[in-house]
Amino acid sequence: MRVLVVEDEAALRDNLKERLTESGFTVDVARDGEEGLFAALEYPLDVAIIDLGLPNLPGLEVIRRVRAAAKSYPILILTARDNWQDKVEGLQAGADDYVAKPFHFEEVLARLQALLRRAGGWASPQLKCGPVVLDTRAQAVHVDGAALELTTFEYRILEHLMLRAGDVISKTELTERLYDQDFERDSNVIEVLVGRLRRKLDPEDKLRPIETLRGRGYRFALPRDTSS
Amino acid sequence: MHSLSRRLLVSVSVPLALFFGVMMLVLDTGFRALSEHSMQELLDSQMVGLIAAAEPQPNGGYAPAPHALDPRLATPRSGLYAQIRSQLHEWQSPSNAMADVDFGPLLAHGERNTTYTSFGHDRVAIESRAIQFEDDPQGLRTLTFSVAVSLSPYEEQLWRFRQELVGWFIGLMVVLLVTLAALMQWVLAPLRRMEREIHAVEEGRSDVLGAGYPRELSGVASNLNTLLVGERKRVARYRDTLGNLAHSLKTPLAVMRSSLPRQAPAGPMGAEIDRMTDIIEHQLKRAAASGGALIGQAPVDVAQVAASLRGALLRVYADKDLVLELVVPAACQFIGDRGDLTELLGNLLDNACKWCRDRVRLTASAEDGAGPRERLLLQIEDDGPGISEEDRVRVLQRGVRTDESVPGHGLGLAMVRDTVDLYGGRMSIDSSPLGGARFSLRLPGR
Repeated sequence: MRVLVVEDEAALRDNLKERLTESGFTVDVARDGEEGLFAALEYPLDVAIIDLGLPNLPGLEVIRRVRAAAKSYPILILTARDNWQDKVEGLQAGADDYVAKPFHFEEVLARLQALLRRAGGWASPQLKCGPVVLDTRAQAVHVDGAALELTTFEYRILEHLMLRAGDVISKTELTERLYDQDFERDSNVIEVLVGRLRRKLDPEDKLRPIETLRGRGYRFALPRDTSS
Repeated sequence: MHSLSRRLLVSVSVPLALFFGVMMLVLDTGFRALSEHSMQELLDSQMVGLIAAAEPQPNGGYAPAPHALDPRLATPRSGLYAQIRSQLHEWQSPSNAMADVDFGPLLAHGERNTTYTSFGHDRVAIESRAIQFEDDPQGLRTLTFSVAVSLSPYEEQLWRFRQELVGWFIGLMVVLLVTLAALMQWVLAPLRRMEREIHAVEEGRSDVLGAGYPRELSGVASNLNTLLVGERKRVARYRDTLGNLAHSLKTPLAVMRSSLPRQAPAGPMGAEIDRMTDIIEHQLKRAAASGGALIGQAPVDVAQVAASLRGALLRVYADKDLVLELVVPAACQFIGDRGDLTELLGNLLDNACKWCRDRVRLTASAEDGAGPRERLLLQIEDDGPGISEEDRVRVLQRGVRTDESVPGHGLGLAMVRDTVDLYGGRMSIDSSPLGGARFSLRLPGR
């Protein structure tokens, strides 16, 4: 998952970047409104965290322009002005949720995950597709009730595919969202990771959870279980 | 004496009434003096005529010659009476017939007087003179000549005069007072206009007082305007400062929290940061709540605020399949600050959305019969687990410190309670027919 953090306070920005990276996100940062707007419009993002009080261009304006450019990924507002009038303005401008400063990182993380889930059309933090269950909070995967040992990258790929289960996701998109910009893009790595993931999920080759669509990408093929 | 017009009316009509009273007294006295004078003249001339016409009679008395007699003296009960008396003789004018006359005692030589008495029911003035004729055939003796005139024509005249006088004075008084009232309307019109405009400003229908006041009031009007604008600016600046203060305190707190060692429990540092955050949150917000309609602030449409909050909350609670129902008549208005209302409704609706299963309802209504600070009724209810009796009491208790706030309801409710208090409104909690808690706020509005 690729997240943009637009925050002018260096210590906060660095801290968020560090902890989000630890939590399995690919993090882009921007230090003011203009930089933030550029990143928000140009980078392939899954979600953005935008402080409202930004130099050069106010956060509210950044959000408006991002939405005007038809970008639909979720946006989380960070604000020190914790009153409803500001919250309402932010949400009306196109943000999806807010966290008041000073925040607990866990809170930011929980909101981010909830937003990503919602964007993928999931109602609960547990993503269930047939026998495969992925818990976004615990970052754990079970198949038929048995825990699965996954590497960080394997988990991230699976999370990405399952969040948007049913959609076709290209290798480029996966690469962009898993690695920093300066990563040398070698699609073989993705192929290798997906191959390993398939073997772990489906050692007997019965479920076939991940389809390959030649020249287009991958698709998580198991039907979503939305009963719970 | 709390009305300027009444003061003016009294201050003008009292001297006016006094003036008219004295005038009437003076005119009445004058008129009476005049009529007494003319009556005296009549008596005198009759007396002179009688004395001149008196001739000795064969019986030894004196009497006027019949041809020289004033016709009124010859007619019974004419209102004019005469008598000539000596010790032995007496002459009565024919007019004395059938009247119960009594001219009083005889006078000594040289005496003369005027007395008032009654002949029966007729009030009369009597002039009597004691005279001696030197050529009296009976020798020198004293004769008393008396002439009486009825007072009733004079009294009638005086009565008519008084009636007319009073009639005119009352008429004049009425005309003067009506003119005065009309003038007062005209003079006080700018004051009434000022009152109207201040009322309009209070109700938020206009910002400031208009121009074009007379010289004596234009100073007051412009001072009031300066005050209004100044007050509004001051409050705006005050809130801005508080907002900036909160902002500039919270960012370093966020930095401090982010630099705490991870994983390990937050420890005393973390707890202190939380406490400071709560204090900033609660106290600064409380200070920023205006707690009353600023003069000249437009009333806030409840429906508008509720609709924008609804949009925002539905976004935030997109996970829950929420039914957020607004039952807010378009005419419902809150008299106070938009920010305060947004904060009140935002906190309560957010709380309701947090605790509900899937239904939240906001109902607004105006109660015309309620006190001026409780006319707007806002009810927020949900279908969640509700709030226990104990917690209700704690939520509503005044002076509960922020760190004693009901767990799970955050600082929001303490904030709501304080703001409602500031507005002089009321807040109560009971159970909703939906199943959960129902918060009822009574606030200034319509």
